[in-house]
Amino acid sequence: MTTPNVAASRRFTLTGRTANLLVIAVLVGLIVVLALGFRRDPRDIRTAVVGKEAPAFRLERLEGTGTVALEELRGKVVVVNFFASWCVPCREEHPALVRAWERYRTSDVVLVGILFQDSVESGRDFVRRLGGTWPTVVDDRGRTALGFGVFGPPETFFIGRDGVIEGRHIGPIDEDTLVRGIETLRRKPS
Amino acid sequence: MTPARIAILIAFAGVLVAVAAAARPAPAGPEERVERIVAELRCPVCQGLSVADSPSVSAREMRDLVVQRVAEGRTDEAIREEFRRSYGDWVFLAPPTQGAGTLMWLLPIALVAAGAGLAWGRARSRAEAAEHDPAPADVQALRARVAREEAADL
Repeated sequence: MTTPNVAASRRFTLTGRTANLLVIAVLVGLIVVLALGFRRDPRDIRTAVVGKEAPAFRLERLEGTGTVALEELRGKVVVVNFFASWCVPCREEHPALVRAWERYRTSDVVLVGILFQDSVESGRDFVRRLGGTWPTVVDDRGRTALGFGVFGPPETFFIGRDGVIEGRHIGPIDEDTLVRGIETLRRKPS
Repeated sequence: MTPARIAILIAFAGVLVAVAAAARPAPAGPEERVERIVAELRCPVCQGLSVADSPSVSAREMRDLVVQRVAEGRTDEAIREEFRRSYGDWVFLAPPTQGAGTLMWLLPIALVAAGAGLAWGRARSRAEAAEHDPAPADVQALRARVAREEAADL
């Protein structure tokens, strides 16, 4: 009569070998997860907007009157640069933007500066001191920056002729990266 | 069933009731909805802080957007989706309950269940071993073996 009871209890007993295998499996799983996590570049922040249509915006110009709307630039390669006057990396990258603009200003490439988290006066002062004649607009409540998923200034987005965001650069950008991004989009068939 | 097991079962049932009560959606006013949503959102310029807890400009702008969307009559899910479109699932402090994020929720539960099952199985086998007397045939065989070994020693 005892045999069935013994057999029943064995159903719930984990042998030493099985328990060891289970522990090893869990440890291997943890090591794999950690190894994959450590291999990732912490600056390589996955972004949701690349490959998707850029959020539409119509914003007031920093200088003068009127607005700039992204929709009106459809058919051109658009580089959108988010910046602020208080941002030191923005000052560092500005010469590269000036050189890129001088190179492409007469082509089918448009550079749009978007001032955000900053006052209009400070933004105007920044542009007047450092130069730059590309259209610059004011994102006064940060809504456009939120739509683009901006983490902080400076950030640069490369938008194709079809209005899709093809690339994003977080942090100060240099001239080579700008030219490479622009040329990639210019070569892309529309 | 022993009193200890009854106590464990009662405690387990209590946890289940508490989880069910916490998961039940409660009707909330606009301010409560805003607070609930901003508590879920990750501040993009902070280290592990929610929009609700961060004093940064970015967090304030995100909160303002949530307030506006709630006032416009958008649903909580539509507001979350707007942030997800811009920042991905990263923008939520808790991992998503869909796709690969499901693993993050299910794995701890599975591990706890496996551990509980193991502990229960061991406890049961020990209790059964203690409760049942050995079979007469086993006792007889054991006595015969002891007698043989004693005779061999002599």
